[in-house]
Amino acid sequence: MPTTIKIDPITRIEGHLVIEVTVDTVRGQQQVVEAKSTGTMFRGFEMILIGRDPRDAAQYTQRICGVCPVSHGMASTMTLDDAFGIAPPANGRVLRNLILGANFIQSHLLHFYHLSALDYINTTGLLDMAPFTPRYVKADMATGAVAEALVANYLTALTMRRKAHQMGAIFGGKLPMTGSFIVGGITEQVTNRRIDDFRALLTELRAFIDNTYVTDAQALGTLFPNYYNIGAGPSNLLSYGVFDLDGAGDNFLSSGRYSGGAPGALDPAQIAEYVKYSWYTSASGGKHPSEGVTEPDPDKAGAHTWLKAPRYNGQPYELGPLARMWINGDYTNGISAMDRIVARALETKKIADAMDGWLNQLTPGAPTVTENTIPTNASGTGLTEAPRGALGHWMDVENSVVSRYQVITPTNWNSSPRDDADVPGSLESALVGVPVEDLEQPLEVIRVVHTFDPCQACAVHMARPGKSADAKILIPPNVA
Amino acid sequence: MRISRREFMKVAAAATAAGHLTSGALAALEKALNRGGKPPVIWLQGSGCDGCAISFLNSIHYAAVDDLLVNTLDVKFQSNLMAAAGDLAVSAAEAAGADPGYVLIVEGAIPTGAEGRYCEIWENMTMHQAVQDFAPNAGYIIALGTCACYGGVSGGAPNPTNALGVSGVIGNDPRLINVPGCPAHPDWLVGVITYVLTNGTVPPLDEHKRPLMYFGRRIHDDCYNTRKYCGEPIFAEKLGDEGCMEFLGCKGKHTYSDCPMRKWNSKGPGLGGQNWCIGAKSPCLGCVNPNFPDGMSPFYQYLPGPARDEGADDNQGK
Repeated sequence: MPTTIKIDPITRIEGHLVIEVTVDTVRGQQQVVEAKSTGTMFRGFEMILIGRDPRDAAQYTQRICGVCPVSHGMASTMTLDDAFGIAPPANGRVLRNLILGANFIQSHLLHFYHLSALDYINTTGLLDMAPFTPRYVKADMATGAVAEALVANYLTALTMRRKAHQMGAIFGGKLPMTGSFIVGGITEQVTNRRIDDFRALLTELRAFIDNTYVTDAQALGTLFPNYYNIGAGPSNLLSYGVFDLDGAGDNFLSSGRYSGGAPGALDPAQIAEYVKYSWYTSASGGKHPSEGVTEPDPDKAGAHTWLKAPRYNGQPYELGPLARMWINGDYTNGISAMDRIVARALETKKIADAMDGWLNQLTPGAPTVTENTIPTNASGTGLTEAPRGALGHWMDVENSVVSRYQVITPTNWNSSPRDDADVPGSLESALVGVPVEDLEQPLEVIRVVHTFDPCQACAVHMARPGKSADAKILIPPNVA
Repeated sequence: MRISRREFMKVAAAATAAGHLTSGALAALEKALNRGGKPPVIWLQGSGCDGCAISFLNSIHYAAVDDLLVNTLDVKFQSNLMAAAGDLAVSAAEAAGADPGYVLIVEGAIPTGAEGRYCEIWENMTMHQAVQDFAPNAGYIIALGTCACYGGVSGGAPNPTNALGVSGVIGNDPRLINVPGCPAHPDWLVGVITYVLTNGTVPPLDEHKRPLMYFGRRIHDDCYNTRKYCGEPIFAEKLGDEGCMEFLGCKGKHTYSDCPMRKWNSKGPGLGGQNWCIGAKSPCLGCVNPNFPDGMSPFYQYLPGPARDEGADDNQGK
């Protein structure tokens, strides 16, 4: 007899997410047979950006997300560089990578320890206070010495992610929300002192990543091996690539696509978004992002989410560390809930190790910004990666102000609802087959949801693509 | 690792000796920590980015965040950190909400368009309803971050969701303290909580309900760029150059905040920040102001002034 349960809110994520699963007994095991993912917040960034000085976009778009603001700063400044027809000098390019890398480290540490780990540890006797109680307790959770060690590492990781932000602030000014990211480069200057300070913190972080984080992630895989067999989803992977190594588009983590068991070319023209189940008018859907329209409609019948459904050639895709490491050839173990966790840890190590070398590419005293002027009419695109996956910004400038700004985020893809053909999103698919032992404590579902590292504030669609002659507010009259 | 109160006080005392924590503040922290029982905290997040929560996790200057979570505060509901989800989490919030005297922290703006349905925080609970439900029993209400204080970026023109700050929803409440910033500095939040627990009152506030102890002096007056070139200021001609950035859009003359002294991303217990916006040669955006971002935009364009009162164009009640 199928039962539907709703987990509202999903906690230990960024933003607002509701997961509804239908559970039934299949081949003797109670498991998820259907899942529905819902984002419950809308702000309307594309409306907010229209008419503004284009240079401001690098600061406004960072406010899309407090966990991954630097990714938006990167995507936005890449978009601005493209529209303004310039490129940052080498120092500027490397500094952007270093500040972004620092935030990747912060975000991944936060995700493993503070957003995920409590799913796997019985903290009774170790953390018997709010917010660690009330809690779920399952027989498969780590106990004893293992639990003690993980709790100790959870607390140490609070210090480590703070240090990752401190490190990023050496060149970023402050984190979260860095003022250093501007069109043409980075405002902070390179000095030997700053390089040394950055390296000192990086060395400390790398020791923690190598000796603690990667170890704990791999240990989790040993303790919970069944999570290598569930949570796969459609197994389509996509990456735009990130960390420009030379100014010529060679990325440290490559762009690419993997689908149907084989690598494929990535053609952004194949992306379209659907709104059958999303709170936008039907006119908004089924189109390439550059041609559609976004009109919020919170009363639309049959809709249940503020997220649109991005699809590549009609297929749902998973984005994130597993996708990047897979496409880059660095991880081949498998696609599953636990593979996501382990790949994320290995990616953190890969990036942190590389950052030490990037520091050597900085030249104290050399320029960090390429001079620029605001174009009258221009367009720009910035494709990069946030910790959670591929991130794209698209902008038009008319009469020297923003006439259109579009953002498609990784969680938009990962947490998407069904599309117009009723094909579920990656997370919705990944939940099918996940066992649920106790309907009152659907921890297995929560564990798998967390492997996608949802960042919901990002996910809500912010695009108002298409013609932009005036900045009309497109809220239908039945909305206050 | 868990830090005992004795260890924490030793560090704080060392910080006092180093001049980074006044002896008055040390006494206040001591009193707050020795107060019987941990003060309950309910932390609601609306239309925002969770940046203020992430910033709070960077707390170390006055108190390490692990110490706060484990030893000092009784955080009954905080969606980024709490173990429970779904009904278990909601019941924790409801149980805490039924016991008056908690510290209510509100992060993110409160959308009021579409009957509040632009932001639902749990089933049948819009952020708009939640603020109205949880405010009455609160001992203190801290609006954390510029979005919660005044609408902020979430309420940027044309404010598609009709997002308001807390005072736009509950009015001019004597329990309300606005701790703005985009994000808010963790010290400001920890300091305000310490103050209310120690003194049993809201700290002295300015006309925008910001604590004067953090928002009492203009950035421009304490900025090293102003002081460095005393009498003969040098102006940066383009971003990345040395000198005062007033003509590149720096809003320091229009902004009251202790950023030049405190800086950002503290280096450790009792220590000041690693860097700050102006320190990294990026102009101040005026992110603590009631009219941020619209009144502070364009960010890279000179704003003549200064105006003494930046509150005229905020989102409250509009």
